[in-house]
This record gives sequence, structure tokens and C-alpha cells, in this order.
Amino acid sequence: MDAWLEFAKGPLFRFTFAIMLLGLARVLILSIINGFEAKGKSREKKLPMNYVMKLTFGFVFPIRSLRVKPLYSVVSIIFHFGLLFTPILLFDHALLFENSIGVSWLGLTLSKSLADWLTLLTIVFGLIILVLRVSNRASRSISRKQDFIWPILLIIPFISGFICGNSVLNPDSYKAFLLAHILSGELIFVLLPFTKIAHCILMPISQWITARSWKFAPDSPEEVTIALGKEGEPI
Amino acid sequence: MFKEKNIWNKAEGKTTPEMKYIIEKPPKGDRVKRFLEIFAVILKHSNYRPILEQYVKISAKCSRCSVACHIYQVTQDPKDIPCYRSELLLRIYRRYFSLEGSIYGRLFGGYELKEEDIDEMAESFWKCTACRKCVLECPMGIDHGLLTHLARYIMAEMDLVPRALLISTREQLEGKTRNTSAIPWIGMADSIEFLEEEIKEMHGVDVKFPIDVEGAEYMFITPVSDWLMEAESLMGIACAMSAGGVNWTMSSKVNDAINYGLFYSDAILKRNLLVIAEEFKRLKCKKILMGECGHATRSAWFMPTYWEGGNPPEIVHCIELTHKLIKEGKIKLDPNVVTERVTYHDPCNIARQSRIIEQPREILKSFCKDFVEMTPNRSENYCCGGGGGTVSIDEIRKYRTSVGGRRKAQQIIDTGAHWVVAPCANCKKQFRELMEDNKVDGELVGLHDLILKAIIFDK
Repeated sequence: MDAWLEFAKGPLFRFTFAIMLLGLARVLILSIINGFEAKGKSREKKLPMNYVMKLTFGFVFPIRSLRVKPLYSVVSIIFHFGLLFTPILLFDHALLFENSIGVSWLGLTLSKSLADWLTLLTIVFGLIILVLRVSNRASRSISRKQDFIWPILLIIPFISGFICGNSVLNPDSYKAFLLAHILSGELIFVLLPFTKIAHCILMPISQWITARSWKFAPDSPEEVTIALGKEGEPI
Repeated sequence: MFKEKNIWNKAEGKTTPEMKYIIEKPPKGDRVKRFLEIFAVILKHSNYRPILEQYVKISAKCSRCSVACHIYQVTQDPKDIPCYRSELLLRIYRRYFSLEGSIYGRLFGGYELKEEDIDEMAESFWKCTACRKCVLECPMGIDHGLLTHLARYIMAEMDLVPRALLISTREQLEGKTRNTSAIPWIGMADSIEFLEEEIKEMHGVDVKFPIDVEGAEYMFITPVSDWLMEAESLMGIACAMSAGGVNWTMSSKVNDAINYGLFYSDAILKRNLLVIAEEFKRLKCKKILMGECGHATRSAWFMPTYWEGGNPPEIVHCIELTHKLIKEGKIKLDPNVVTERVTYHDPCNIARQSRIIEQPREILKSFCKDFVEMTPNRSENYCCGGGGGTVSIDEIRKYRTSVGGRRKAQQIIDTGAHWVVAPCANCKKQFRELMEDNKVDGELVGLHDLILKAIIFDK
């Protein structure tokens, strides 16, 4: 068990964390390059920035979310908040970074009780969001397998982490929960850039990309016609 | 408060009429192969790849868009959820054109495009009215309207396109009359003379529709259907221009602003705009003045994309110009003429991105005694149900008015308005039909129809 833990905490963590960072950087950079390529191909460059900003910031700071499906939106906002801030601002996690790379944010971390509350909220709201997806006909009918699996996968490290931090366990059980905590977190790291969770980095540029794509390439219609061998064909 | 009648929950709304349009030359042979070939070519030469790459990665299937969609609200059919519809195209891109998807597909199998998927897209993407209201609710920024546009473009290149739009476009770009309604210029010239006489009779002044005036400040262009169905809108515009002292002209050669390319083909969009651009250059005008039409105006906003030679002309909507003239005190309107309740419908194509929102309201409030808003309104407004070119497909009228237009019909009823102002040729046709089919009281007009009634000329 100890060897497994060391492996999970050491090389596996570094590997999976690197995959996550590099993977997210890759999709973000590719998207930005795509957007600028679209800009290069278009003749009209000016974007409706008010509209782009209104929708981008309206969802990044989820003011607009509450306009429809308020129950779902509140649950989703709290879940996302917990998902994002609890692991980053947890004292224990910051300490691990401090000890390994000497960089940390110990001064910004959450108190133990606040972190526990946020963890519980994230778990509960993760389950509620799953229930809402299953119980709502519209959501259920457009969901793929990953849409049902993700809420469960995301709360596993929260549950195991909470147990580790708050229960009096025998050393073997503690190590088992810790291993589950680390491995489930690492699984998330690996999957994150290759699944819909990549929205954590791509979402803020989505409106910009869309607005760029509406600026059509001026010669594209003729190029398409020629490539399809339809030049000179009547309508 | 004004709810006199509720058509929203009527039993007949629960059976959805068929949405089946006529295709002139249904494609034969291996349609799957053809679809993928066309998709690949369009991706190579256009600007659509960035959004597809983005959307396949972030689509979260949260279903918030379902709440915004006027079609899904009526049918409650999961296949009408915008995100479901978009996935029909996204899954093809993911499987055949994205790196991750094609590797996964080759290793583990998975989705394969089939003939029946093409039939589903041909139906689904023409049920969507491309109003883009759902875009406002998508936290991931997915533009379902843009995907509808792209899917229709791919299908149109394999002749999978409603005949109604195809034959109109053929007449407009290759026919004798060069307009979608096939009206010869001599007929339009007669109408113009008649309208000038009508104005003289109404207001006792000589108001002209200037034709082919070189060097005019504005070249006016409007959907040709206005000459058949919206005479009062045209008379109102002519009166506003005349009272405001605007130097404007129409063209005898290019007199149809309809651009079905916006709905199904970038090639058609460009060809139509180049026809307008050429005539604009011939007449040596300075700006393009659009009539009361949402899609024609939004199409014209693409002019800078296709304009050659630098400095594309400014596109001015007639409501914007009339608003400016009223503010300058050049147009006077009698506040005692329009006394019945008035409401205003925001056409999606000019309102969704908040481009023309307040000007029509300020105009109407300046002379209408009882103006009420629809709910929701402005950029949030519901589509009339005939957007995206579907209004021109007569064989789906029942679907348009009982499904697509049901939300709008209830909105109108809830206002209790007599005058329903819809400054868009597409919306006007759809409103007339949905008000008739849903037995909605009230009278459909353009904004300039009311101006025609209330304008005061200095004699």
C-alpha cells in the first residue's frame, strides 16, 4: 500500500498533472490559433464586441445563468464553485505544492471548517445535478454516457478527501481512502483536456470564436464551387 | 392582464403537423459519401472549422437551450432541442474530421453516418428557424443558428434544399425578371405610379419613388414581395424620405433585397450581394438603404465581407433613418391618428444582437397613444415562427403557424393590441398566416404603415 501511495503521490501525480496542464494549454492554444486563422481568412474583421462580452462575462460570472432553469442554475453554480475553488484553496493541497516546488498560496487557503462545508456542498450539489439530469426529460434525452458519469467521477475525490480529513480511521483504511482520493483526482486530470470538461478553459473564448466564424472567408464560395466541380452550373 | 384567450394549451397543439417540404431534385446515389465530400470541401475553404473544433470539445448537453426554443416549447419532442439538432452535425465532424474522434473511431468503432441520418438532418435543420434565441442561453457559447446555417449549406450543395427557395433564387439570379417573385419591371413601374397617386390622394402632396437617380445619397432596396403585399410600408417609407428631404433612389434593374443565401448557401449569399454592389457602384450612391426586412438587412450587413475595392458602403435600415429624421424634427407625426393599442415585434435578424432595438420603440411611442410591449421583447424576443426562410415554404404553412408560430400568437394575444407592428417582410407574411390560422384578433402592419397614417406634410 505504501509503495502504491508513494507512486500515486509522486511520479503518477506529476505525470497526470502535466498531462492536464499541457492538454489544456494545447486545446486553448489550438482554439486561439483557429480563431486567428479565421480572422486572417475574413475580410471584415470587426466583431460585435458588446454582444460577445455580454454573453462571455454573463456566463463566466454566471449572472445570465439564473434567467432560465433557476433551480438547475443555482445548483450548477454552487457545484462549479466548489469544484474549482475547494481543491485549489485547500490548505493541505497548497502545502503539498509548497513542499514540492516551493510555490504556494498558503496565505489564501480556506479555513478547515469552510473547506469542509464547501466539500460537502460540492458532493451534495453534484448528486443533485445528476438527479436533475436524470429526472428532466429534455436533459436526459440529449445526454451521452459521459454526461451521467462525470458528476459521479467528480465527487469521488471530494468524498474520499472528506473522509480522510474528518474520520478517525485505522491506518490501512486511511491509506486506502487517500489512495482512492489521489487516483480519482489523477483520473480526472488525465481525462479533463480530452472531454467536455475542457470547457473549464475553452468556455471564455467560445463567443469570440463564434463571432470570428460568422465573418466568412470572402473567396470561400467560389473555392467550394470549384472544388466540387460545379463551376458554371445553373442553380 | 390582457389575457383574453389562451391558445397555448389547446388540445390541437399536442398533435404536431408534418414538416415536409418539397425537394426539386432529391439527390440519388451514395448520399453519405457525397455529404462527407462536401463537408470536407467546405471545411477546407471556409471559416467553419474553428467553431466545430470548439463545439465538439465543450458541448455539455445541459439543455438550457430547450427553454428558449419556440419549437420545442410546443412539441416537447427531444429531437427539437437545439442541442440535439446541433449534435446531428457535430457528431459527424467529431467522427470524420476531428483528430481525437477519427482516432477513436478507427480504434473502437462508434458513430457512422448513415442514409437515415441525412434524412433526419434534412428535416431537423429546416424545422429550426435560425432565430438564435437559444444562443443567448448557452453557457458554452454554442451558436446553434450558425450550425443550422452550415448544415443547410452542406445539404444544399447536394440539392437537398426546399424547392420554394431554390426556384425563387434561380429566378432572382438567372431568370428574366431578376427577382424572387418574378415580377417584371413594367409591372413594378405601374405599381409605383399607383402608389404615388394613392399618397397624393391621402395627403395631397406629390411624393415620388425616385428611379435610377445617379449620385443619390441612398440606394433603396427592399424585398420584392413588398410590391405585392406591403404597399403601405413602401408608401410610408417614401413619405418619410420625402418629408425628411432625403436624396434617395431605387434601381429599376436590381429591386429585390431578398437573399435566401443567408439561410442555405454562402455562395448564394455572396452572389446576391455582388449584384447589389454592382448596381450600387453603377448608380454612384453613397449608402445602401434597406426596406423593412430583417433577413435582407442582416444579409446586407455581410456586404463588407464580399465587397471588393475597399470602403464598403454603410448599410442603413429605413427605421434607423426615419428615427434620425424624426429626432431632427424633419418628420412630424400626428399623435391623434393611431389611437388603438400598438405592439412591436422585434425581427430576430435585426434585434438578436441588439442592433435595431430602441429606434422603432422611440418612433412608435412618439405618436402612438397606447404602446405595449410583448413579453419577452427586444433581443430576447421570440421568432415569428417563419424565420430562416421557412416562411417561403408554403407547403409547411400548417406546421409554421401551429407549431413555429404558436408562441408568437400567444404573445400577440397577451398584449391585447390592435396594431401589431412587424417591420420585416418574412415576419409580416408569417404573422398574417399565424393570426389567421390561430384566429388572433388585430391587424398586422409595418412600422412605416403607421407613419403613412400619421405623417404631417408642410404644405
